Order: sequence, then C-alpha cells, then structure tokens
Amino acid sequence: MDFRATTKAHLGNRVLVVALLSLALTLVFSALLPMQSADALTTDAVTAKRNEDGGSAIIGGKAARLTWTGFVDENEKVMRISLTFPEGSGLAEDARVDVQEMIMDDPLHPVPDHTVKYTDDLTAEGLVLVFEDGLRPNNKVLIRVEGFLFPNATGEYSITGTYVDEQGTPGNLEADDPIAVTEYTQMQALVDDLNGQEWVQAWNSNKFLSSFLNPAIAVASVPNLFWGWLISLALVALGFPLAIPIGLGVAFLRMSKLWILKFISSIYVNVIRGTPLFLQIYIAFFGLPLFIPNVNVFVLGFGVLALNSSAYLAEIFRAGIQSIHKGQFEASASLGMNGAKTMFFVIIPQTIRRVIPTMTSEFILLFKDTSLLAAVGFFEMMQFAKVQANVEANMTPYVVAAGFYLLVTLPLTRVISVFEKKLAATDGRTAAPDDKKSRAKRVGLFKTVAPLSATTSDPNVAITPEKHDSR
Amino acid sequence: MSVSRKLIAVVCAMALASSMLLMGCGGSGSTGSTGSTGSTSTGGSDAVEMKLIKDGVLTVGSDCDYPPFIALEGTQAVGFEYDLLDALAKDMGLKLEYLEPQSFETLPTQIAGGNKMDLAVSSITINDERKKTVDFCDPYFDSNQAIVVNASSSYAKSDDLKNKTVGAQAGTTGMDWANENISGITMKTFNQASEGFQALQAGQIEAMFLDAPIAEYQTATNFPGMKMIQVIPTGEQYGFAVGKENAALKAAVNKSLQNLIDNGTYEKIFKQYFPNLEPSIK
Repeated sequence: MDFRATTKAHLGNRVLVVALLSLALTLVFSALLPMQSADALTTDAVTAKRNEDGGSAIIGGKAARLTWTGFVDENEKVMRISLTFPEGSGLAEDARVDVQEMIMDDPLHPVPDHTVKYTDDLTAEGLVLVFEDGLRPNNKVLIRVEGFLFPNATGEYSITGTYVDEQGTPGNLEADDPIAVTEYTQMQALVDDLNGQEWVQAWNSNKFLSSFLNPAIAVASVPNLFWGWLISLALVALGFPLAIPIGLGVAFLRMSKLWILKFISSIYVNVIRGTPLFLQIYIAFFGLPLFIPNVNVFVLGFGVLALNSSAYLAEIFRAGIQSIHKGQFEASASLGMNGAKTMFFVIIPQTIRRVIPTMTSEFILLFKDTSLLAAVGFFEMMQFAKVQANVEANMTPYVVAAGFYLLVTLPLTRVISVFEKKLAATDGRTAAPDDKKSRAKRVGLFKTVAPLSATTSDPNVAITPEKHDSR
Repeated sequence: MSVSRKLIAVVCAMALASSMLLMGCGGSGSTGSTGSTGSTSTGGSDAVEMKLIKDGVLTVGSDCDYPPFIALEGTQAVGFEYDLLDALAKDMGLKLEYLEPQSFETLPTQIAGGNKMDLAVSSITINDERKKTVDFCDPYFDSNQAIVVNASSSYAKSDDLKNKTVGAQAGTTGMDWANENISGITMKTFNQASEGFQALQAGQIEAMFLDAPIAEYQTATNFPGMKMIQVIPTGEQYGFAVGKENAALKAAVNKSLQNLIDNGTYEKIFKQYFPNLEPSIK
C-alpha cells in the first residue's frame, strides 16, 4: 500500500515535471513556430474594387470584388488557405471564387499556372481553399471573391486568415491595410431602387434607351458631372476675362502704324487662329512642361484657352473698332480730344456694345472647347463623363454631360439674340435679315443718318468678323 | 476660271487620297484567302450562321497603339495581334480588315452596337465588367500589369506612389488596378497609351500603369527615358471581344484559334514578337 502510495506520489511528481517541461517546450515552440510558418505564406495585399455607381467608394452591403494576394516562400508549399471575413459580411447570390497561381520564376514575366486544382468553400463567414497539389514555392496566389458584400456600416475592415503548409503546420495570415467601407448611401439606394423597378427594366430592354438614356446611370452621373461642370465653368470664367485684355492689346497692335508691331500681332493672330486648339493643348500640356517643370495643370488649362480665345477676340475687337464711323474720330478731334481719349471715351464704349453678341458666342465656343482638355487627362466635365462611361460601358454619362453643356449655352444663345435685337433697334433697323432688299434699305437709312449715329462705316462689313463653329 | 477649276480638282484628289489612306489601316495584309463569301463556318456543325459586317471579311477594331501587340506603320496596322488575326482570318477563309484606330474605351460599346466591327482586338483583358457588354473568345495571351516611371525618378514600388498623380489609358485594367490598390492617387486617363507616355515625359503624371508586355517594349524602344519599376502579377488574359448575339462567330474564331495553337502557327508568331518567352496559352 505504502509502496503504491509512494510510487503514486513519485509518479505524480514525474507527471508534473513532464507537464511543466512540455509546457515550456510548447511555449518555446509556439514562439518559434509562427515565425517559421509566417514565412510559408505571407499576405501581399488585400483590396476591393470600388463599387459605388458614379463614385469611388466601397459600399457595404453591395456586391464588390475582394482580392487577396499572397506570396509562398521558397522551399515551402501551401496546402490550405482559410480567410476570415469581417463580422456582418455577406455574399451576393452569384458570388464565386477565382483562384490564380502565378509562377514567379522570372519576376518580369509572371505566368499563370492554368493547372492549379482546388476546392473552395465560400460562406459569409469566410473562405476555405484546399489545394490538391499545393501551392508551389516562390509562387504568388491571387484569390478573388466576386460578389462579396462588406458589412453595411461605415468603418475599416481587415481580412485575416490561416493556412496549412505541406508538413501540416498551421500559420496565421497577417491583415493588410484595412479597407475603408462606406455605409450604403442614399444615392446608391436610389440608383439600386431605380434598377429594381419594372418600368426601368422595360425601358432598359430597349438597346438604344439603355445605352444612351439608362435611368440609374443618369441619376448616378449627375452629382459626379456637376463637379466637372463647375470645373469647366471655372476654366472659362478665368480664361475668358484673361483673354479680353490680351485680345484688346493685340487688336491695338494690329491697328498700329508701326509695321513691326502690326507684323508681330498679325503673326500671333494668324498662327493661333490657323491651328486647331486641340493641337495647341497638346503642345501646352506635353511640350511646355519639359521646359517649365511643375506647372499647375489648371493654370496651363485656362492659360491655353485664354491665349487661343485672345486671338479670336482680337479680331472681333479690331473689326468692332474699325466699324465705328470715321466721323466719330473727327468729331472727337474737333472737340480737342487726343487719340487715347478718343479711343477710351468715344470709340471703345460704342465698340463694346457692338461686339457683345460676338463676344458671347466666343464665350460659348470657349466653354464648349474646355472639353478638349479631356484628351490630355485634364479633369473637366468631359473627362468625368468619360471615366464613368468607361466604368459602366454605357453612353448615358455623355448624354447627361450634353445636358450640362446646354444648361450654359442655350440661355447664352438666347442672350445673344436679345442683344442683337436691341442693337438692331438702336441702330434704327430691325433684326438684320440678310437679303439684298433690306440691305439696300439699310444703306439708304445709313446715308441719311450716318454722320452722327454710331453705324458701320461700311454697312456691308459684318460686325461678326469670324464665324468659327469648329476649330 | 480654268485655274480655279484645276485647283478644285487638285483639292478633290487630295481629299480622296487622304480618305483612302485613312481607310487603309490594315486591309491589304491578307493574301491567299480562299475568297469564300458570307457566312463561312469552319465548324460545319454550327447550326446558326455567323454574322459578319462585310461578307467574306473579318472586320477588326483596335486602338492601334499598343506595341508590340498592335501599332501603326504609316497607316498599316502591324504587330503580334495583326499577324495572329491575319493567320486566323486565313484559317477561317476570310479576308482581314482593320478599321482606322478606335478609342479603346469605346470598343466594348461598339461591339455591342453590332454594326461596325466583328471583333475588337486591342489587348482587351477578359473581365466580368466587360462581359456584361460583350462576349469573349478564348484567351490568346497571358498578361500582367506594370508601373512605368521616368528613369530619373526615385519611385521603386507601387506604395511609393500613394497620394500622387498617376496615369493610365482610359478604361484599362491598369487604371482599375491603380485605383483599387494605391490609396489617395489622382488618376488621369488618356485615349491612347502613347499619350500617357507623353504626359509622363512632360511630368504631368508621376507614373503610368499599363500592361506589362507593352511597358517592357515601350521602355526598351520608344521611351528610353523611362523605366519599368514593377511587374504586378494579375494573371489577366486577353481575348477577342465579340457580340453577345454572335455565338457562331465566337465558336468559329475559337476553333480557328485552337487550330493555330495546335499546328504551331501561334507559337511561331509568338516567338517572332516575344523571342525570350514561352507561350503559356495552350
């Protein structure tokens, strides 16, 4: 009995020692093992494709594509990967997994291994992948989950996971930078709601309507394009006022008596008007920065528009000034005014009134021409529309953009016709129809009133010197 | 009078000549086509006849600006894709015709429109977004993404480009990749890849994202002042985009493409443009 008792006690001690030893060993190993196994598979990146219609956010509760990239260490093989999704995640009905093993033997030319065999178990909680032959050393693995729903609550989410290597040793997968997710927005709800409605589906069943006037895409594009519209307006709002003094200056130079000034200014006008704005933009954006580094693109943008417009305005001003009757100059001279005074107090005020309609149409042209900046990657309305049209593979953003352009150009066109009518009335004629009869009438009228009224010295000279609908 | 008439005649002739030049992006390349007209179906078993824009002609749309896959020499399209399609068209008994350069981003919509081109071939990566609009034939090339910067810059990896202004061709997977993977970037998009390179040269953008084979080719040839800093394995594959309702054409193209792979023509063309690589499409 005693002996038994002592043996028992002895045995108890031994068990204790073994237990303690093994505990210490496991502690040591557990400290070592993760380090060892962390090498077998490491997280490269965890990202998600933006899924906001017309925006750039990742929205929770809406199908997104989640991409997990990892790297298999040399001398290791990975048999099993399991990823844990954040609490509250979900899966769309057509959710699926796509796995690619990339052979990285030549880092410049990664080649996909089309033979990779795996089974997947995809749930809202996570994904378990079992590789039949294992992921081979040095390879990269891309796991894409299509139709993944992030939790519908604003926050930052991380994907963690575990793996098992060839020896059966488990390891942990570190989280990458967390992914910022936005709660389902009202805008998005509206868009999705539209897409769910019957009339929209009927509407979209027509190929033309769905590709040019898709209701949901139209709604989603409005806030997006509005921003671009403001930028386009800002461009022309800064560019046009800048073009006016330059244009006026050039106009004076062109009327100068010094041949050299005349020569230089006419080269300026003819070169700028003789080449397309599109080309000028390319030179400004791709050429100039080679010599002047760090130019602000916005400055470059409205600068090139202003320079282009100044040449057209110069001609408008010149024609306007020259259309003022000689008698005005003579009258001013007889009142003892010098050249500058005559210009600023007599001629220019009359000119302004005359050139306003032409200037307004120049403004309209310039506003429309801001769209050309899209070609060099400038973010104005056209570029916003382009980006969205790409994402949606649909033409609707362009149609909405057309609406935004018309929002400016139509009222202005109306303004022009009102101005023209007023001008015609003050000039003592009705809105200039251009048939020979009325022209003859006008000539007659001018002859009688001409000496003091502000009419064209040659009634056959149009005040609109340049009609350039396209550049 | 007679002088001005002559002038008009000369102007007309010039206009005509230039329009013919424009039309000639491609076209003349295919010789020895069997000249069969209309709905040629190599499949034989295809019940539905395939639709072609022009009888006996395989009409292809491309941006013609992605060497070594496709580029223009004068007005003639040249490159890996051109040679592959030329062989493909021959196998199908069709004549190959390239349209004038198209804007890349519009290719899927144009295919969906169904009245301009039979195939869109412009290193188009097969992906789910595009599959909403078009169908894809079997992949013909394995590709990846790459980052190109000015040789003088100190950027070494994608993370260095956080919060920077970068560029990509509009509607490409390079654009998508950068937007998804690098935080805080401003993305500028261009109609043509070469415009992106010019913008990079001019310092408008800090880096350009595009498909790796093109990045490798361009930095080695046309833009020696630039370097490729990183190849990103995305495992994407190029496919010919075809109209969703044109399943017969898709089947015929797939069959001919497989023929070219099986009889070694594909490998021959591949080796001509990528002598250091092994074709991974089987």
